[in-house]
Amino acid sequence: MSKYDWLLFLHITGAFLLLGGGVVAGALNLAALRRDRPSEILMLFGLIRIAVASIIAGTVLAFVFGLWLVNEVGYGYGDGWIVAAIVLLIVGNAIGGFAGRRDARTAKIAEGLVAQGDEPSPELQARLRDPITLACNYGSGLMLVALLAIMMWKPGA
Amino acid sequence: MLGAIRPDSWNLPLFVHVLGAMILFGATATVAIAGFAARTRREHAELLARVELKTFLFAIIPSWIAMRVGAGWIEGKEFPNGDEPGWLGVGFAVSEGGALLLIALGILAWVSIRRHGIGRAAGAVPVLAGIYVIALGIAWWAMSAKPG
Repeated sequence: MSKYDWLLFLHITGAFLLLGGGVVAGALNLAALRRDRPSEILMLFGLIRIAVASIIAGTVLAFVFGLWLVNEVGYGYGDGWIVAAIVLLIVGNAIGGFAGRRDARTAKIAEGLVAQGDEPSPELQARLRDPITLACNYGSGLMLVALLAIMMWKPGA
Repeated sequence: MLGAIRPDSWNLPLFVHVLGAMILFGATATVAIAGFAARTRREHAELLARVELKTFLFAIIPSWIAMRVGAGWIEGKEFPNGDEPGWLGVGFAVSEGGALLLIALGILAWVSIRRHGIGRAAGAVPVLAGIYVIALGIAWWAMSAKPG
């Protein structure tokens, strides 16, 4: 295996961990949206932490080995598609991180409700369905799909 | 350097194949995570079994189809004469052999729900999902590093 093969494998591994982690978080988030009991919501949000670890590891791998690949193949760091990919990666992670912090506050509320008897709460349901958080969560996922498309088509390369 | 110089007509099938494979990886990992979590969270075992079956029906099956259709499509363009290299066989072994494993996983996930997420079927689901996650890892190594 050549150096290029290894770099591509590690870059793609990062992409799989990043997008795969997004799928795990999305599936568990959807499951939480359909539940009423705070303990169930808290448990599902707790499992999302595994997805977050995968997303962070994937972002680092994809970014580092992606930049290394640019140098290895001979593309320019200022090429439009590479700049667009980096911007999408950073913005997607920032938006996802913003939504994640709001979800963490929702989990705190669920934790408090569990201690008070685990009864369904309108406030918790409202936070779960908060349109800004949902838009940021699913918007960051769409950005990752757009990022994958840029990697495939390499517009302007 | 193939990734850098491939013809434009290969982009769409490759995109469908890779996106399908990435969603399949995430969906199978979701089933594994939910299944293993159910072992230590008995009070939520039934809920987690439902998450497993719904993920199987609405994410694993569609993404497997996308991955497999994309694979056949790009194979037809890249190797029109059937002179396929060995690394491609690894991918097909994981997709075809994996389909049998996924069918078994789906049946066990359904049985698990009927038994409220408890029992042997519930215990086997995350093991099968974990095996498939590892197989997918081997496939993406073969697809990207193209050994041999």
